[in-house]
Amino acid sequence: MYALRRWWDRNGLRLGMVSLALIVAWAIRETQGAAVLELYRGLNRPFVGDVPPEQQIENTRILELEQRLVELESQNRQLQELLGYVDTNPSEGVVAPVIGRSADHWWQQVILGRGSRDGIQVGFIVSGNGGIVGRITHVTPNTSRVLLISDPTSQVGVTISRSRFMGYIRGQSANRVVMEFFDKVPDVQPGDVVSTSSYSQLFPPGLPVGIVESVNLNKSPAPEAVVELSVPISSLEWVMVSPNPKMGESSEAVEQGAIDSAGN
Amino acid sequence: MNTLDLSRLHPFTLRLLNYAVIAGSVLFCLLLLPTRLPGMEIISISPNWLLIWVVAWSVRRTAVQGAIAGLILGLLQDGMTSPTPTHVVSLAIIGILTARLQKQRYIREDFISIALIVFGMAVLAETIIALQFSWQNFFADSAELRRNLGQIWLYHQRVALSSAILSSLWAPAVYYPLSRWWEQISDLEQPQA
Repeated sequence: MYALRRWWDRNGLRLGMVSLALIVAWAIRETQGAAVLELYRGLNRPFVGDVPPEQQIENTRILELEQRLVELESQNRQLQELLGYVDTNPSEGVVAPVIGRSADHWWQQVILGRGSRDGIQVGFIVSGNGGIVGRITHVTPNTSRVLLISDPTSQVGVTISRSRFMGYIRGQSANRVVMEFFDKVPDVQPGDVVSTSSYSQLFPPGLPVGIVESVNLNKSPAPEAVVELSVPISSLEWVMVSPNPKMGESSEAVEQGAIDSAGN
Repeated sequence: MNTLDLSRLHPFTLRLLNYAVIAGSVLFCLLLLPTRLPGMEIISISPNWLLIWVVAWSVRRTAVQGAIAGLILGLLQDGMTSPTPTHVVSLAIIGILTARLQKQRYIREDFISIALIVFGMAVLAETIIALQFSWQNFFADSAELRRNLGQIWLYHQRVALSSAILSSLWAPAVYYPLSRWWEQISDLEQPQA
């Protein structure tokens, strides 16, 4: 009994601290780092540039217009091919600063400085200067985490805008993604515009993704094309977060389900 | 000067202060994870700060202590990214291995050897994660978790090298202040024990 008591006196505090640390670490894991992200956002605030609300709204409005102007200019030449693009381009949305990158290089994520207080929900679409960037996967009151389309796990059903040949893209952890076609001999050539298809269950159809850079028709089992994303993912600073019209239909849906059924 | 101030503290206060330093440095590393300051990235890959912390912690401790640190920091990194696959395995193994290295016997205690250890451990950690991804690739029923096997190992080559180089270059920034602090603490606790 005495020995037990002595051991407790010597190691009790240490044991308590270890179990406390374990509990805190588990809690952070379960909440997906919500507290850490909020703190990170708080510390990051001075560097993001905090301006009074009216000015901020005006600034973001100007930024939004600038973004849309560049987007429209760059897309104007290709708009004949991109029929229906203007209609499906999400108009209302929140402009959010990118305050952080993924905490590990195996995941392609960014952290935004706006969260549920600004109306952002899980599943919302994130777009940048000229195309889609990714999808919201976690939201805290003031931050949100985006899974980029360049992540290997984010597979999106896409289509070649000119010839309507379908396929899906697979992230390659850089500014390039690989598009795999469902058909053996697709009509595709470098320079073709790629946009999301109606097979995609997570993104609405018709959003611009990128431009075909090179094509490999001999690739087995399916022909592949390397697509250059139209958004500079590695140097994102501001993005637009907009509601996802497909969210209500299939919040639990997995891209692959649609791809598998279409491919067979 | 600093040592004098510390020695005047009550042992219990000193211990609490030590715990605060430990928790604070972990939090600092956690907050560094999503930042990309200039000079901190090669092809958009940044140093693995938690791995550096685990190595700095385990170098002068037992394997069990290293494993516990790896477990806790692995859970934290899971929280910052995605819980599948978990980082607990890689960080715990690195904690155990670093503690088992018995540095004082084979390698001299300096920045170069710490940088070397971090280099090797970073490569090992990325390999373990890549193995976990491959494992998941075979057994995952949800397609969302599945990655292309060839792609995993292609990416692993790129990630392992740049992460190892960057982590070992930045290792002294975490290791030096922490090891100085723990040296002082152990100097102060030694006479009483």
